[in-house]
Amino acid sequence: MEITADGKDVSLVLIKQGAEAVSVDNTLLRSCKGSCKEIRLSFFMLDKRVFESTFVGRRSIVKERFSKKYRHPSLDSKLILKGLNAEARCMTKARRLGVTTPVLYTVDPVLHTLTFEYVEGLSVKDIFLEFGLHGIVEERLDDIAMQIGNAIGKLHDGGLVHGDLTTSNMLIRSSTNQLVLIDFGLSFTSALPEDKAVDLYVLERALLSMHSTCGNVMDQILAAYRKSSKQWSSTLNKLAQVRQRGRKRTMVG
Amino acid sequence: MKVFEISNGTTLSLTLFTDVTNSKELLEFMQAGMLEPEVAFLNASLIPDVFPLLAAAHKTLVSKSRESLTTRTLHSELVYNYSGSKHITESLKRCGISDSSTYVLAARFNASPDEMKAVEKLINGKEIDLEELEGRADKAHIQKHYKITAVELGISSLADAITCRIAARDAL
Repeated sequence: MEITADGKDVSLVLIKQGAEAVSVDNTLLRSCKGSCKEIRLSFFMLDKRVFESTFVGRRSIVKERFSKKYRHPSLDSKLILKGLNAEARCMTKARRLGVTTPVLYTVDPVLHTLTFEYVEGLSVKDIFLEFGLHGIVEERLDDIAMQIGNAIGKLHDGGLVHGDLTTSNMLIRSSTNQLVLIDFGLSFTSALPEDKAVDLYVLERALLSMHSTCGNVMDQILAAYRKSSKQWSSTLNKLAQVRQRGRKRTMVG
Repeated sequence: MKVFEISNGTTLSLTLFTDVTNSKELLEFMQAGMLEPEVAFLNASLIPDVFPLLAAAHKTLVSKSRESLTTRTLHSELVYNYSGSKHITESLKRCGISDSSTYVLAARFNASPDEMKAVEKLINGKEIDLEELEGRADKAHIQKHYKITAVELGISSLADAITCRIAARDAL
């Protein structure tokens, strides 16, 4: 699909489409003109769009939150900005805690976009699915599980809950084999064992449903978590309770 | 001198000087608003790499295009944005030059070769290559200014850590 904006050729490639299909309008094209010659639309999510672009000479990812027309405009813009700032904050906080996340390049409060480093590498989801198809590389699996547990332990000890721990939100940088956590859109700070336990529980469910062929990765992750987190005991006790009753604390409705 | 494209064809020209002797004079000129051509002087010991500065320049151009500069001029905005802090006076003091600065990075948006020559004439110092930034950076000072801990440096370069702080400043 070729779209010409302001005399410049801009090609837009949709790679993946999520739950909500959205027509591509020109807002983002305008915002990117000049600074990027090619915009690649990586995937749609419920409330954001992700594009590939260049930021002062470096390959980058642009994540745009868009407005929901059913919300009152003034409330809508407030909510969008709140989410945008929270995500930027949580990403940088994670780095301060020693967990690798993509380098944040810029935050645009007017266009509602975040621009960050393009991480070269596969997602843990793809790697694990590959293991399911062609057999497990034991050493690699151990290393990844160890890194995941370690990273989550550091986040939780620093009072940061990722909120959306799935294997597709974890990348392995090809050059260093280092784990990079992405998508802090649902992250928040909390010191409660409850929130941390739910964080781990979400990951456990995701692993069970996607990667049951990989054996018990979760046990390895939890073993690494126990080593890296000082508060592992209360969190894992809570996790046992959460497993009994599910993610939602109050069963209403 | 080196020229970098920031966005939409706007460029940033950078020249690095060491052994600068007239920083007091430059500072006075600048504060009087008489610097011709207008240029930004940065404390180069806080700059380990050009990339964070380019990110700050990008941010500066975006606010310029929206007429929402926080400081008085485009070039002071660059210094302010590079600091990663919201305190304008402190930012200009720390990331700009002082009476006693000897190591200075001069930056100008959309500079013509003639203008950059004029800038070189303004400064009494020795021009050196931008490659020297990394080796000459004051790592301890940078870590203190941007509050970068050893834990973070374990997973990130100094330049990336600064870039994140510049980008996230207004979100904090």
